[in-house]
Amino acid sequence: MSKPALAVLLTRHPRKPPNILQTLLEVQASLGFVPADALPEIARSLDVTEADVAGVLSYYPDLRTARTGRHLIRVCLGESCMANHGAKVLDRLRAHLKIEVGETTRDGRVTLERTYCVGTCPVGPSLVVDGDVIGRVRPDQIPALLEEYQ
Amino acid sequence: MTRLYLSNDTSARAAGADRLAQAWAHVPDVELVRTSSRGAFFLEPLVERDRPGGRMAWPNAKPEDLPNILAWVGGTPVDDIPFLADQRRATFENFGITRPLSLEEYQRRGGLKGLERAVSLAPDAIVQELKRSQLRGRGGAAFPVWTKWQVAKDQAAEQKYVVANADEGDAGTYCDRMIMEGEPFRLIEGMLICAKAIGATRGYIYCRQEYPAAAQTLREALTIAERAGLLAVEGIPVHLDVFLGAGSYVCGEETALLESLEGRRGVVRAKPPYPALSGLYEKPTIVSNVLTFATVPSILARGGAWHASLGTDQSRGTMTLQVGGRVKQPGLVEIPFGATLAEVIERFGGGMAPGARFKAVQVGGPLGSLFPASGLDIPICYDAFARAGAILGHGGIVVYDDATDMLDLARHFMAFTADESCGKCTPCRIGSVRGREILEQLQAGRGRSGDLDLLADLSETMKAASLCALGQRAPYPVLTAIEHFPGEFRKN
Repeated sequence: MSKPALAVLLTRHPRKPPNILQTLLEVQASLGFVPADALPEIARSLDVTEADVAGVLSYYPDLRTARTGRHLIRVCLGESCMANHGAKVLDRLRAHLKIEVGETTRDGRVTLERTYCVGTCPVGPSLVVDGDVIGRVRPDQIPALLEEYQ
Repeated sequence: MTRLYLSNDTSARAAGADRLAQAWAHVPDVELVRTSSRGAFFLEPLVERDRPGGRMAWPNAKPEDLPNILAWVGGTPVDDIPFLADQRRATFENFGITRPLSLEEYQRRGGLKGLERAVSLAPDAIVQELKRSQLRGRGGAAFPVWTKWQVAKDQAAEQKYVVANADEGDAGTYCDRMIMEGEPFRLIEGMLICAKAIGATRGYIYCRQEYPAAAQTLREALTIAERAGLLAVEGIPVHLDVFLGAGSYVCGEETALLESLEGRRGVVRAKPPYPALSGLYEKPTIVSNVLTFATVPSILARGGAWHASLGTDQSRGTMTLQVGGRVKQPGLVEIPFGATLAEVIERFGGGMAPGARFKAVQVGGPLGSLFPASGLDIPICYDAFARAGAILGHGGIVVYDDATDMLDLARHFMAFTADESCGKCTPCRIGSVRGREILEQLQAGRGRSGDLDLLADLSETMKAASLCALGQRAPYPVLTAIEHFPGEFRKN
């Protein structure tokens, strides 16, 4: 995003008192991530310090400082999915994609993450692919499922 | 025109409901109505059709089942499904029946009656009704709801807040998500009753980011409620907004939630002062779980005495359980307090999934204790669980089968706490990492004598010296795993 575009975004919702988390979520919703070099401008627009912004940015697992791959796969590791052996689904994804949790494939196709519960426990193990929840996933379905996300 | 009903709940969609909707979208003379879910998720996608005397249901429907459904072949009367018939629904009585965003259907089935009654009462009388009901907070802490309302009501402040805790982070639970997606007006009604009782004019629903459909449905419901003139108490507007979280478990703790709502790191605050006295922006604030607010309309409509007539001595009303893991029939179960854990797993859970053998059950989310087969006679109520050193939490019941490696599960619990600790208290921040490391060493076959003593010692410190339930409760699932399955922890 260009500097002027970020400025427009930051002035769109002037609010008192300033809300750092909400602002960062809005930046991420527009850009897909929060660029590190945008911190000074975000801090200025909210009249807080850069350290305040960096503190919030580093605290929340769902705020990102880098773009994800074209597809984002989140594997649920909540207790209910664990009980349904969802860890095997994750193992299969790691093996198939040859990446670890938190990494993106070298071709930029898939980012793999884990999450602790998406609230679809009764139809677990669950995966979230680009925001769509897929339930009752079996490890042997992984290769075919990945084919759909190029 | 044949009208068919199909749930639009995220779990039903994850089980394939949208595939049916796509396949049948252009079938002539078929109208597909997307409703909330009955909560019998083992039957989803569940298709229903009107019939005199009650709906017929076609469980686990596939696109090719349409001709049978249209010909009335193979269906079951909904009222004959034991999982549903054996429940005593109150808060979830309309689930699976109505369209989530139809205010008219909500009203036709008794919605807004609680608010109407509250409007006719003085704030004191509303609090008295809550006191009579003996409702305790359903998020996990089980604090008497009326005392919080009383404290907030008695404060003289130019601004007060009502905050719904929709950061339903306990794995294995989803009843708040179902309410927000399935009957958002019930939550809104409960919050408005609270606003009237304490004199609040602003409110927030703090919804976890993992629930995008819930947040979207709520926003649409708020717009509809606003247009209908509902978002006001005695002519004074009550502004309600949805605020999204960003993936932090500890933000489900009420003071961390308030920090997060103010836009900062979601770090817990020391209590007192309690939020009812000094909460959001240091103003009197009621923070309650979504299910708690959703229980309030029925209490006002039917009276506190009705609520108090259900359940056990210290646990009045119904408990919303979410039975899952390796059971045959995972789903939402609303029954009065008092049934035993064994009854719930057998009668509603239907026993174990085919081929699975019971090993342990965890009640109350990732901080809940594990029970072995010999511990299932415990009645589901707050006092019995407290006596056992356990928690009911938000009603999650997760059954593990005998293929579960308890050492690996214990490591998972500690890793979870290490990931999610907000870092404010040293015992939680460092204890969880050390606990995880000890269990990892055991797993790698590098355990040393005294490791389990060290873990026990660490756990005592975490329990005694952490500010919030995350640090205080995190050792319980680990310690109960070691207590009931000691053989699996002797790896050296």
